[in-house]
Amino acid sequence: MTTSTAFQLEPVTTVGFVADQGGRGFHLPTDFAIRGDGRIFVASRSNMNALDIVGIQMATIDHQFFGQLGSHGQAPGQMIWPSALALDSQDNLYLADDFLQRVTVYDREGGVSATWGTKGSGDGEFDGVSGLLFDANDDLLLVDHRNHRVQKFTKDGRFVSKWGAFGSGDGELNLPWGISSDDEGFLYVADWRNDRIQKFTPDGEFVAKFGESGRGEGQLSRPSGLAVDSDGNMYIADWMNQRVQVLDRDGRFLTQLRGDAILGEWAVEYLNANADELDARSRFVPVFETDTDDPGEVSARIEPYFWDPVRVALDAQERVYVLETGRHRFQVYQRV
Amino acid sequence: MTTVQERQDVALMAHLLRRAGFGATPDELDRFMEMGYEAAVEGLLNPASDCEMPEDLIRRYHVDQSDLRNGGAAAAHWVYRMVNTDAVLREKMCLFWHRIFATASTKLIQARMVVNQVEMFRQYGMGSFRDILARLSRDPAMLMWLDNQDNHKDSINENYGREILELFSMGVGNYTEDDIKECARAFTGWRVVNPDYMSIKMRNNTARPYGYIAWQFEYDDDDHDHEEKRFLGEVGDFNGEDVVDIICRQPATARFIARHLYHFFVADELPVPQWPHFGPRDPEAIEIMAQAYFDSGFQISAMLRAMFNSDFFKSEASRFARIKSPAEMVVGTMRLAGPIDLPSTDTYAAAGACAAMGQGLLAPPSVEGWQGGSEWINTGAYVQRVNFASRVLNDPNKPGIRAIIDRMADGAYGMALSPQRLVDACLDALGPLPVLDSTRDGLIEYAEKWGDTTLPSEEGDRRAVTLIQLIVTTQEYQMV
Repeated sequence: MTTSTAFQLEPVTTVGFVADQGGRGFHLPTDFAIRGDGRIFVASRSNMNALDIVGIQMATIDHQFFGQLGSHGQAPGQMIWPSALALDSQDNLYLADDFLQRVTVYDREGGVSATWGTKGSGDGEFDGVSGLLFDANDDLLLVDHRNHRVQKFTKDGRFVSKWGAFGSGDGELNLPWGISSDDEGFLYVADWRNDRIQKFTPDGEFVAKFGESGRGEGQLSRPSGLAVDSDGNMYIADWMNQRVQVLDRDGRFLTQLRGDAILGEWAVEYLNANADELDARSRFVPVFETDTDDPGEVSARIEPYFWDPVRVALDAQERVYVLETGRHRFQVYQRV
Repeated sequence: MTTVQERQDVALMAHLLRRAGFGATPDELDRFMEMGYEAAVEGLLNPASDCEMPEDLIRRYHVDQSDLRNGGAAAAHWVYRMVNTDAVLREKMCLFWHRIFATASTKLIQARMVVNQVEMFRQYGMGSFRDILARLSRDPAMLMWLDNQDNHKDSINENYGREILELFSMGVGNYTEDDIKECARAFTGWRVVNPDYMSIKMRNNTARPYGYIAWQFEYDDDDHDHEEKRFLGEVGDFNGEDVVDIICRQPATARFIARHLYHFFVADELPVPQWPHFGPRDPEAIEIMAQAYFDSGFQISAMLRAMFNSDFFKSEASRFARIKSPAEMVVGTMRLAGPIDLPSTDTYAAAGACAAMGQGLLAPPSVEGWQGGSEWINTGAYVQRVNFASRVLNDPNKPGIRAIIDRMADGAYGMALSPQRLVDACLDALGPLPVLDSTRDGLIEYAEKWGDTTLPSEEGDRRAVTLIQLIVTTQEYQMV
């Protein structure tokens, strides 16, 4: 379902599969990062019944699957609650872990090159990293969400600066989640519990804010992440509204997406190997009128819709990738 | 100086809060004492506030409690609410209906559907029984649990038709086999959207390809039997709603629900399968509640009000006369320790502990639920209880324990507490909890090795925690 305006997006494909019993796919993913060559790293949080799936799965938009990086545990390279991913200019992959309160760095070959982090509220300490982003200088911006701030580190983990404090005023944050930037270097933070996006200069000076609480156009409910295209349009994961909203650089509503998932290659292969399910699918009504207006419950019932759309990312062609925690997949859109 | 009457009033209020809730901290007990007993009952029946469930935080930190597919995550989600809620009777009634309308995620696979069913109990569980039964009959978890998706006008499946009469409303002996079939006919066409696919997914026990799809009720008139039916002496083209109306008018229904309420809140009855053969232990109590049912137009709250205000509920003989269910034990102990912060893995551990003690939330062993009573206790379950309680109550800086210790310190007016006074203060804070003389003597003997204790202090706090941990291992603490 796409609201029709001059600005339009069309679905391209759906990549994913619930990997709760292992194998190809993801399980309760929390973040992803797209490398320049198209390889996509997806961090699966999974659950206590499927700890083997805790890790970073690797795939492409063409449904190739390259296995998993890392595993559940506390040793270097392992993780408990993977919460954020980012790639630096040399394609080193940075992973934040909300449980272990640390950052792990994997080199391009998947080796662990560094692990650092200390829980706390002092400079260089953090409490719950929920977003990672490399800026134009290859410094690491880290959303230190339970301290309601953003911190800047060098890529080897040395503290540089910090900004933000708890509150709802301009430049203040309430449990922020994701972070992004535009081509001009401005930073955008999903100010999660304030139901808004805030825009900052590269040094953390407040520039603008977008959104307010609600379900209407331009309103947000617990935004968890966003991406910004070369025109400055913001693609916002409007998490509790279970949609992606697109606002222009001034915050004007352009369009919204509710989700248009199709059966991707991995799903089709599964169904082709399970005739009873395939047969039942032939009589299946994927989208129907629901008897609830709770967006989360609607998402639980309508398979093509986004369910907990947690992150949005753009690839080199500015195609729009939407990662869904609840459906273990990402949907890809492109401008019409 | 506390008078005998005041002590009796406190003991009665504590009894009410154990049965209608999960026990009270000393501060909570004070607040309810200021209200008085009958006002407290009304407050429990009509809670002004509910648990401000921070769904956004829970879902963010515990992603498996967002899709609620996994049984452990779903049970943890319920534990959080039970521990943090102010509307304790509302949660207790969820447990009550969950025990009678026992529906298990183990068959349904997606625990989310049972969570939604419990939410229905939460919203309507103290309202009209007619409303509850009608909603239960449309509840997707119940429809799939009892196979009503296979109940067609040309080939009935009597499973739901049987259980709604036998287990959910009237009890064996108050209807015929023909009534069961006619009841099943009335519920033909009551199903979920996409029934074929949903049934196969449930049978195949797989979330593939994109996770489970939550069910939604759907009525298919083309698959409904519109022929005449004869049900409990009435004749007509009955649909499911009509059958529910007829059931709710039956005196047997009022007595059956009353007996269940008595069984859950007052004193253990015989196992339900024996009810057709043996009368209730207090027939007069059942009649009082049944009368309240009819006088109020089937309101469960009216039955509860009549029960909580009755002599049979208040009597000393009914106090500490039931064994705590695992949920009562686990939640009550956690509430003593204080509210849960997020993120926390405590709720998962608590849900696991409930299951290890014999009560897997959202996973009753069968459609007959848990019998409870003496079946809650065996050697393994007792060890689980002791380990859980002493693990939860292990830190003087947990807010609930801190409040208890500070309260004991206030009561000491700066004086050191003798071993005897320290033991009595701890017993008072945990109930007040009456214990056998031998139990009290044993605790005092243990405390005597410390000599007098000053609170608060690092050493005094540690002693208080140790005594509290010892008390929760006693037989008396297992009773409610």
